[in-house]
Amino acid sequence: MLKKLSLAAALVAVGSGAAIAHTTLETTEAPVGASHKAVFRVPHGCEGKPTNVVRVQIPEGVIAVKPMPKPGWTLERVTGAYANTYDYHGTPVKEGVKEVLWKGGDLRDDEYDEFVVRVYLTSDLPVGKTLYFPIVQECPAGATERWIEIPAEGQSGDDLEFPAPGLKLLEKAGGH
Amino acid sequence: MVAARQPRLNGRRPRWARIPAMVMLACSAWFWIAVAAFAHASLIETSPADNAVLAEAPATFSMTFSEPISPLTLRLVKPDGSSFSLEHFVLRDRTLEIELPHDLARKTHVLSWRAISEDGHPVGGSVVFSIGTPSATPPEATGKIDWPVRTAVWLAKIALYLGLFLGIGGSFAVTWLGRGERSGSLATLVLLGIGLVGGTLSVGFQGLDALAVPLGRISDLAAWQAGMNTSFGRTAIVAFLASVIAIFALAAKGGRGRPLSLATLAGTGLALALSGHAGAAEPQWLARSTVFLHGIAVAFWTGALIPLGLALERRTPTCRGMLRRFSGTIPLVLACLVVTGMLLSVVQVQKPSALFETAYGEVFLVKLALLVPVFALAAFNRWRLTKPAEHQDPSAMGRLVGSIAAETAIVVLIFGVAAAWRFTPPPRALAIAAAKPAVVHIHTDKAMANVQLSPGSAGQVEASIDLLSGDFGALNAKEVTLVLSQPSSGVESIRRPARRAAEANWRIDQIIIPLPGTWHVRVDILISDFELARLEGEADIRP
Repeated sequence: MLKKLSLAAALVAVGSGAAIAHTTLETTEAPVGASHKAVFRVPHGCEGKPTNVVRVQIPEGVIAVKPMPKPGWTLERVTGAYANTYDYHGTPVKEGVKEVLWKGGDLRDDEYDEFVVRVYLTSDLPVGKTLYFPIVQECPAGATERWIEIPAEGQSGDDLEFPAPGLKLLEKAGGH
Repeated sequence: MVAARQPRLNGRRPRWARIPAMVMLACSAWFWIAVAAFAHASLIETSPADNAVLAEAPATFSMTFSEPISPLTLRLVKPDGSSFSLEHFVLRDRTLEIELPHDLARKTHVLSWRAISEDGHPVGGSVVFSIGTPSATPPEATGKIDWPVRTAVWLAKIALYLGLFLGIGGSFAVTWLGRGERSGSLATLVLLGIGLVGGTLSVGFQGLDALAVPLGRISDLAAWQAGMNTSFGRTAIVAFLASVIAIFALAAKGGRGRPLSLATLAGTGLALALSGHAGAAEPQWLARSTVFLHGIAVAFWTGALIPLGLALERRTPTCRGMLRRFSGTIPLVLACLVVTGMLLSVVQVQKPSALFETAYGEVFLVKLALLVPVFALAAFNRWRLTKPAEHQDPSAMGRLVGSIAAETAIVVLIFGVAAAWRFTPPPRALAIAAAKPAVVHIHTDKAMANVQLSPGSAGQVEASIDLLSGDFGALNAKEVTLVLSQPSSGVESIRRPARRAAEANWRIDQIIIPLPGTWHVRVDILISDFELARLEGEADIRP
């Protein structure tokens, strides 16, 4: 009976914890038209190997990207032109950071760490939908862990093996 | 909310799923807090390793994970496709030691596992290992002769020849040589019917032979599909159409059946040229056109025998005209028959010694031996009996009828011998059919993949994956992984990374498909570092 109980409890944990098992966002919803602090939680390496590089792709519509430096890691940014022009407090923005990389680190498989980026979620983003931040962990000898799957219509992140962390977009605060 | 988010496990609902929701809810609060620190387990190492070929059956199977896990299901799928649950295992830290039964058979086994890690995320996969040699399309299956199937193939082929030569040739003789003469129409119709039945059955029998399955499986649609997929499928279609048209040609009044019966005569040649060893020889254009002409000559000559013999026997008013027209054209037809026959034997036999050394040569000699009396009779008819018969000499007519009957009987024997050629040299056409790959085509708006597993049968196969973007453009993938699973027999995902062989072609040189049946095929295409396309389809793997 005890075994059954623990299994049952473990199953419940699947329900509540599946999303946490992967590389995820600490806050899973945020209003548009506002700044947002995105905290990416990396709970393990690639099949036992330590993580050396963490790459976050910045989705379209997310601007004013400011990554938080981490001791022991070199910060890099990939910039480029956006598909659209966005309004950032009255200034039109056409280009900016499209990918953030923390390189040269050594996060062991049995360790946990967080990676932070402050961004601005433009009002053009679709309220009610989920915005995905695909993440790649790179480990020695070419090993990678890619949290890049985006659920198709009718699917949820739980249906996927390597879901990208998602942020549910809420109505602009005081927008009514 | 909690219940709705339980993982979906394949197949049976496990017993513990029935534990009352109360218990679950009570535990969930604690897990909600505790789970945050947990992580997701992955399989790091197994012994024996995935894809290993071992000399001896291993006593235990060990799996090492990146995190502590507890197994949910452990099944061993045996080479024959049956599976059983592995109940005896020990967990040592992150390593799972599974006790295997002592009496493992040789060939390929699959250890299919599903486990839950501390974070509660169920993970699963399959490890393939073989004892002795990997299961493959068993070589002994081709060495062993299935006599019932072989006899059926042979008899159906003779029936097809009767229809193609005597039936179609007969309808040509009735409409062209007979003019107003209708003798032999009924016999020709019967022969066409025999040919239709024989030709149709041949498809199924050829399929049985191609798949190397017993006669009892004739009701299996797969056998018919396999038969149609061999080169014989085209022959069967042409023969069927030609025979049906020949029936119309016979039924048509006056001279209207003549263009139809001429077309069916060409159909006979075409049906024969489309399959068989001779048609497959090089140079193809020469071999095929020679077979075409040879077939037409055989049908012209042998097809005329029954209508002519019957007309002469009945002493019909038009029989003399028919005989005259036949004897006027037959020298040309026989010349064509002999020349094409010699050409084909040169192409096929190549060197005289092969006549005695190969089964093909032996069949050829028997056929040649039977041709001697046929030609002797034909010559006797032509030079000794035709003239008096045309002048209505009753004894000459009677002897001519008897001689034609004997000729027909030997011709049927020759058909029987020629039908045996089907089994003589290593049948190239069927070797190709057996090696026919299983093909899966998957198209989504992101990407398109054409997966070929060759041969398309259980055992060691080579996978070739051709990629295109969703709108038929080039797709330059970074990584491609093939994932095979067979939920019906409990085989979890078997993953194999592919290597790039050409710009859009990815290959896996060796992948073992342990069981026949329907497999779920998934192609994971890493388009860029952050973009993955996952294509799913199904493949039918032959036994």
